[in-house]
Amino acid sequence: MDSLADLATPITMGILYGGLYVVIALGLSLVFGVMKVINVAHGDMVVLGSYIAFVASTSLGIDPILWLVLGIPLFFILGIVIQRFFLYRAFKMSADAALIIAFGLGLIIQNAEQLAWTPLSRSLQTSYSLKSFQIGEVYIPLVYLLDFIAALIIILIIHQFLKRTYLGQAITAASQDRQTAELMGINPARVYQIAFGISMALAAVGGVFLGLTFPFTPTSGVSFLIIAFGVIILGGLGSMTGTFIGGLIFGLSQSLGGTFLGPTGQLLVPFVMVIVILTIRPQGLFGR
Amino acid sequence: MQRTLRGYIPMALIGLTVLMLALLPTIDISQIWLLYIFHFFIFLTLANGWNLLAGFSGLLALCPAAFIGLAGYTMTILTWLKIPFYVGILAGGIVAALFAILISRSVFRMRGIYFAIGTLVLPEILRLLFLRWRPVGGGQLHGGGAGYMVKGLTGITMQNTYWLGLAIGLASVIIIAIILRSKFGLGLAAIRDNDASASSSGINVFRLKLYSFIIAGFVMGVAGAIFYTYQGFIEPTSAFNIKWLMTAMLATVIGGKGLEEGPLVGTIVVVILHFQLSRYANISLLIQGIILVIIMLAVPQGITGLIRDFRKEGGLRALRRLTQKRIKLITNPRKD
Repeated sequence: MDSLADLATPITMGILYGGLYVVIALGLSLVFGVMKVINVAHGDMVVLGSYIAFVASTSLGIDPILWLVLGIPLFFILGIVIQRFFLYRAFKMSADAALIIAFGLGLIIQNAEQLAWTPLSRSLQTSYSLKSFQIGEVYIPLVYLLDFIAALIIILIIHQFLKRTYLGQAITAASQDRQTAELMGINPARVYQIAFGISMALAAVGGVFLGLTFPFTPTSGVSFLIIAFGVIILGGLGSMTGTFIGGLIFGLSQSLGGTFLGPTGQLLVPFVMVIVILTIRPQGLFGR
Repeated sequence: MQRTLRGYIPMALIGLTVLMLALLPTIDISQIWLLYIFHFFIFLTLANGWNLLAGFSGLLALCPAAFIGLAGYTMTILTWLKIPFYVGILAGGIVAALFAILISRSVFRMRGIYFAIGTLVLPEILRLLFLRWRPVGGGQLHGGGAGYMVKGLTGITMQNTYWLGLAIGLASVIIIAIILRSKFGLGLAAIRDNDASASSSGINVFRLKLYSFIIAGFVMGVAGAIFYTYQGFIEPTSAFNIKWLMTAMLATVIGGKGLEEGPLVGTIVVVILHFQLSRYANISLLIQGIILVIIMLAVPQGITGLIRDFRKEGGLRALRRLTQKRIKLITNPRKD
């Protein structure tokens, strides 16, 4: 009984900050769904979102979450620019070319961050970042709850967008069958731009909550890319529910790994789980 | 007779170059040049290995760091067990190849992009494992960390390391040349172009991919182990670092992915960049990233690919075509 109570804290925390992974993975999975290209710079873009929010909060004094009102459109436009001038050109050559370009962009972002903000570890400090609340015996940091709420809101918005708007349906159509979508009068180049823009907007959101939850450095991007990919693999590509559950499982296994194996075991457990699941089910747990 | 004689000239030139490179340490050459050329051989081997995977077999493997780190650690740990380092280098290559066999079952089930990211996770897992694991106790590099010195290197000079590098660099070139001229190479080309139709033409896709994965793993592993005998110590974060992938990828892409001589040319550029940029360490990744993006967008076929085009179409016409393409891109990016 006592040990169960001890585990209640890591279990709740893991599930809650798994929400952060849901947000990051959703951006990656959206671009993958439409273009069939893994944007290997996604992690770096998320961390860029954290840094921009860091500047907004330290030098302008804007609350990071409030900053998103500006940050989301900013990143959306940035995404369209990157897609139009870099990725789409490479994409037309081959999927490998797009992957290599994205890899190069990731390195550029990383190094630029290092120049602008030094390699020191940073985090977003707010009035509520150290607050925690209590459920029964369990104390939970408030920011973890915010992660979870953000994930819920984002999933709902994206789901409604893809279901109900014309653009959303176009994105869904293009991701299901590109050629048929084209025949139906959907301009794939435009759909790619919008999808990439949304993915970048999600990176801005993910960046803010990442900064609130964990400390970050310019090189954090790679680990968050791998985490996001792990989440997608767990959930299965193209499945929203899958991504959501995958994120929570990932958070949970990270948290439990940390409890049982110590700090270095935190990511080991979910990564090994990813490889094992890929071996048994190459299309992910919920994939088609 | 005339023709056969002319056919031997390139062979003789290559032989002469190799001989000169081999004799280089015996003349009074500055150590820094040995260092440059040593790096050239190591990077060349990595690029050849990666080119075999990504260029010839259609396997966009993002895990060179796994082979390099594993082989480096094997060699280091063996030297702690009083086994000479040259045995360790070979053992390192074998361990890397075994690792390739071990993971092939799971990663080859993933196709295309799944494979790429599946392999990207591997070095990260190994890094986390080696941060936890203390294979041999006592006398660690510092403060109980996971870093180890390479033992038993007394009396090994830069010259010896240089020759080791030369050997693996040369071996990698020869291996690639043999593969490409064999039936195995033809099979790989068929898989790269279309693996479904290759399979229906009676090619065992899984086995061929596995062979090239194992060969690349072994070659990269040996190169990695040799690099760590030069460095003298190993530690998980740099051994399983994404920079290894960056080096291999950059050298291959600059030179020309899927072209036999691509890595040779690309590696020269990468080595120059490596040492020139070390003075500006803070922006070195930035510049490498920009070069990668520009080359990929402007000349996706790489330097050797460009030269090949020039020779095929005659210099001027190729140049005109290239500039026209550029101008079209600049003036009318939307149509693109």
